[in-house]
Amino acid sequence: MEQANHVAQIMVVDDDPDTVTILARHLQREGFVAIEAVSGAECLRIALEQPVDVILLDLMMPDMDGFAVCRALKEDPTTAEIPIIMITARDDLDARAEGMRLGVSDFLAKPVFRRQLANRIRAQLDMLATSRATEATLSRFEQHNRNGGKK
Amino acid sequence: MRESKVVALESKLMDTALRSPAERALIGEHPTIVKLRALVERVAITDATVLITGESGSGKEVVARAIHFLSARRDHAFVPVNCAAIPHELLESEMFGHERGAFTGAAGQRHGLFSSADGGTIFLDEIGEMPLQLQAKLLRVLEDGVVRPVGSDRSAKIDARVIAASNNDLVAAVKKGGFREDLFYRLQVVPIIIPPLRERRSDIPLLVDYFLGKMRARLPGRDWTITREAMVHLWSYDWPGNVRELENMVERLVILCEDSVIDAELLPPNLVTATRMAETRIPPTLGENGVNLNALVRDLEGRMINEALKQTGGNKQAAARLLGLKRTTFSAKLRRCGVIAPGSNGRDDS
Repeated sequence: MEQANHVAQIMVVDDDPDTVTILARHLQREGFVAIEAVSGAECLRIALEQPVDVILLDLMMPDMDGFAVCRALKEDPTTAEIPIIMITARDDLDARAEGMRLGVSDFLAKPVFRRQLANRIRAQLDMLATSRATEATLSRFEQHNRNGGKK
Repeated sequence: MRESKVVALESKLMDTALRSPAERALIGEHPTIVKLRALVERVAITDATVLITGESGSGKEVVARAIHFLSARRDHAFVPVNCAAIPHELLESEMFGHERGAFTGAAGQRHGLFSSADGGTIFLDEIGEMPLQLQAKLLRVLEDGVVRPVGSDRSAKIDARVIAASNNDLVAAVKKGGFREDLFYRLQVVPIIIPPLRERRSDIPLLVDYFLGKMRARLPGRDWTITREAMVHLWSYDWPGNVRELENMVERLVILCEDSVIDAELLPPNLVTATRMAETRIPPTLGENGVNLNALVRDLEGRMINEALKQTGGNKQAAARLLGLKRTTFSAKLRRCGVIAPGSNGRDDS
């Protein structure tokens, strides 16, 4: 369901530059465009400046942790619908519960498996494709209404 | 007693009357689901043919019924037909009816399901299973609005709205020649794609609440709460059987739970181990079969790092101190035990 004419832009957010590089390289190998960010603030800035399809967000970061970044993204209508996949070494009940409460799209424990990561990203891209297709059909109806014609 | 009946009635009203059919068919606040509900409401008032695509258990028939009950056809029949469940050789006469003596065993004249749906809606589920020769006949029905029973030389006008449904393989079937391309496009006047539940995890808590509400209406006077831990497990699971599987699970949990609290302990093991919260078991002795020391050390290291991060709320400096490590050593370990796992197999590898 991925659109052939659109290469998905995936943002990787982690305070450890090596981790960002490792993940970005993996994403490129899977055929995605990787956008790198090494802090929550950078993530928020980029998300407002350019189109991003999915965000891979580390939970533990100094200054602004993954949850704070997630809250900020969800509060802004321009970024609220970007699916967020939490990737964290801290996989415990509290972290998952908070991710669930904040409405993250998925939650992965480090270390992640290559296939698993790619599959979870593709699931969110499929969802975006469904969303676009639904929007397109809806606007076809609106158009039809404006023209006042019958189908 | 009377009071609980009133409460139950109220909750039933909440479930049946106050929610519109589209809301009940597509529960959730995910942006895509909100758009889908708008589309269902919009398409219902037209007579357009609809093709609903979605995995098994995602609620295709529920959406088809919602479209029917929101339409002007609501007082006429909604006729569901599972094209995969009826033997191929019978499907044609089931759908279009037959004349007396049309084939061996056709003792009398019989109306088909299309006739039953006259004025209403016919729902053709698993349309991909329909034999090619019948697909040609269906295409003619869609184009001319007339039905000819098997063995008859006369056609009858039928006013039935067609809603078809399929899993995600219909496009592939068209490519392979198993499904007519012209019929595909004729059905797909309005495509409705229902996403699998794992793509909209954020709606799982809402769905669980909704299904618990349904159970309250069914078993008046009883009430249940679900622990946060159990909910986290339900949220983390991939639900290959989608919303239907989740509903069945909630029913099962309600039946299993004895004291009105649904706890994680009631969950089936496959649903709990799916998250990596289970602790690694370190064997107390070496045993006859030996151990993989590297794997054990890696597991223990990961577990301690996880514990330290949990205790310090994710503060790496403090976590490093707890483990007697320098911050740089800790970061290196975190990265090593950490970003991408060796080997490519994950649980949901496919």
